[in-house]
Amino acid sequence: MSGDILYLPRWRARGSAVGAHRGRDAGGLGTFKDQVPFWRLPDARRIDVRASLRDPFEGIVVRRFESRTALEVWALVDLSASMRFRGEADRMVLVGDLCAGLAASATRIGDRFGLLACDADIREDLSLPATRRRNEARAAAARIASAEPAGRSAAGLIAAARRIAGRPKLVFLVSDFRWPEALLDAVLAALAFHDVVPVVVADSAEEAGLPSWGLLEIEDLEGAGRRAVLMRPALRRRWLEREAQRLARLGRLVRRQGRAPFRLADRFDPEALSRHLLGS
Amino acid sequence: MTRLSVLSEASRLGAEQPLLLWLLPLALLPLWLSPRRATPLPSLGAVPSDTLSRGIGLVLRGAGCLAVGALVLALAGPYRSGARVTRTGIGAEVSMLIDRSGSMNETFAGRQPSGAEESKAAASRRILGDFVGSRAHDLFAVTAFSTAPMLVLPMTDRHAAVRAAIQAIDRPGLDYTNVARGLGMALAQFGSGRPDASRVLLLVSDGAAVIDPRVQDGLRAAFARIRPNLYWLFLRTKGSPGIADKPTGEDTPQAAPERHLDLFFRSLAVPYRAFEAEGPEAVAAAIRQIEGLERDPIPYVETRPRRDLAGFAYALAALGLAILVAAKLIAVDLRRSGAPRIRAAAPVPPRTIAA
Repeated sequence: MSGDILYLPRWRARGSAVGAHRGRDAGGLGTFKDQVPFWRLPDARRIDVRASLRDPFEGIVVRRFESRTALEVWALVDLSASMRFRGEADRMVLVGDLCAGLAASATRIGDRFGLLACDADIREDLSLPATRRRNEARAAAARIASAEPAGRSAAGLIAAARRIAGRPKLVFLVSDFRWPEALLDAVLAALAFHDVVPVVVADSAEEAGLPSWGLLEIEDLEGAGRRAVLMRPALRRRWLEREAQRLARLGRLVRRQGRAPFRLADRFDPEALSRHLLGS
Repeated sequence: MTRLSVLSEASRLGAEQPLLLWLLPLALLPLWLSPRRATPLPSLGAVPSDTLSRGIGLVLRGAGCLAVGALVLALAGPYRSGARVTRTGIGAEVSMLIDRSGSMNETFAGRQPSGAEESKAAASRRILGDFVGSRAHDLFAVTAFSTAPMLVLPMTDRHAAVRAAIQAIDRPGLDYTNVARGLGMALAQFGSGRPDASRVLLLVSDGAAVIDPRVQDGLRAAFARIRPNLYWLFLRTKGSPGIADKPTGEDTPQAAPERHLDLFFRSLAVPYRAFEAEGPEAVAAAIRQIEGLERDPIPYVETRPRRDLAGFAYALAALGLAILVAAKLIAVDLRRSGAPRIRAAAPVPPRTIAA
């Protein structure tokens, strides 16, 4: 919660709000962008004397600088019942930590932070319109940490994607991605315009913590019933392989949109997220 | 087993407290509820399909149903009521008529037994005792007679009781031999219930007596009605007249009662054989012969006692419970390094500044 999350948008943000990111437009102070003829930007303060003298056609050249723009950071949180799982950590506490980190990092550099919590529909009581106000963003993160996920599906994420249509935004899609294939495709398609960072909420208790021997009585958090499973090393291996395959398939799907999924397990580490965001 | 006999078996089942059986639907409870601690997982879809696990799940549910159902059943006190079953075996109804006159206590030589010698009563006791145990489905009645007939044991298939009755026939006897009344009582031992059974009247005596002509008619009528096979085991004392011996003097019943009793038996028009035995071996041979002759099917009644099935039900319940306990013992949970971080408590109300 303390460490800042550093993120670089993968695109040049548009917009008039002054912020911390390289903008698409020219203007103001900042990094040198290019040179244009004086008639395109009649700003006598920025005449590039050296370039003007060098011009064989004796034109006047003006320097342009990149504008610094703010962008919107959104967290789309899946509130289906499977997010209620508690292994090494409470999933919603993890999500709350992540949102708090995002909220603090975004608002600190002037970006807006918005939150949409979805089960079968958008949960308005837990959602937050994009805001630059730090306290509201923090309160929304705290609300999501104490939310009780009970939804039967995460179909509300499609509506959420529709709601944040418009300019490209940095979208953190937070879920355990135990979705039907169709929903995953639909959500990713709806978010295709944005810079989507999938955050896969996992837990080492449901992977490495699986026992090698013994009888497990498994209850589906989404209400699919109970089942007794006799754990043995061969079955455990098959189980882990299936999970690995699922994650690999998910990775393939989301990489098409640009970014690899970030695995949020057991503990929220802002530095790891920053490395992930800057690296990929 | 035919369908009918299955039905008759089922109709014999009962319960002490049938009202408790209304609790039997509780046995379906394990289909919905599980006594094991559940491990919540995000999705069952993550679990690979596994035939063994599915089988174990079914077995555990079945064990739960079995445990509850069998316990309810056991509490209701199930039983199988007793019944009398008529079966057919090889054997006969044997009515033994045993002479208890004082001379039976003498040896075959006509003396008081001394040392290793055996009295006639003791020898017949020994040999008849073996005869009783040899075939499972024989029915026996024991009548003794001397001056008056004594009903020792009515017709029964309890061979132990019959043997005990035979054990008692070498008690010191009384004096006189009144065969006519003994025969009457021995005939009366045959019940009227089994007309098709083979009937044997075995008369064991060491002498005979005159049968009053007035009684003779009654005896004839009884023999004609009951139609037993008549065997006379005549324990002849050495030197005494035999069955076939004609007296030297006048041939009257008083002079030769054995001969005249034999003649009376022959005139009865029932299958009749007389065995003259002059020692224990001869008695044994005669008995073997009788045993070989009487090989007819006989209906006999087998009594099945009421059986308490609660123990069986408790055993079934114990089996189900044992399976459940075993499942409980091997139950595991996910390995966690520590207690999961619990979520933040309710937000603290804003503090007011104390005045």
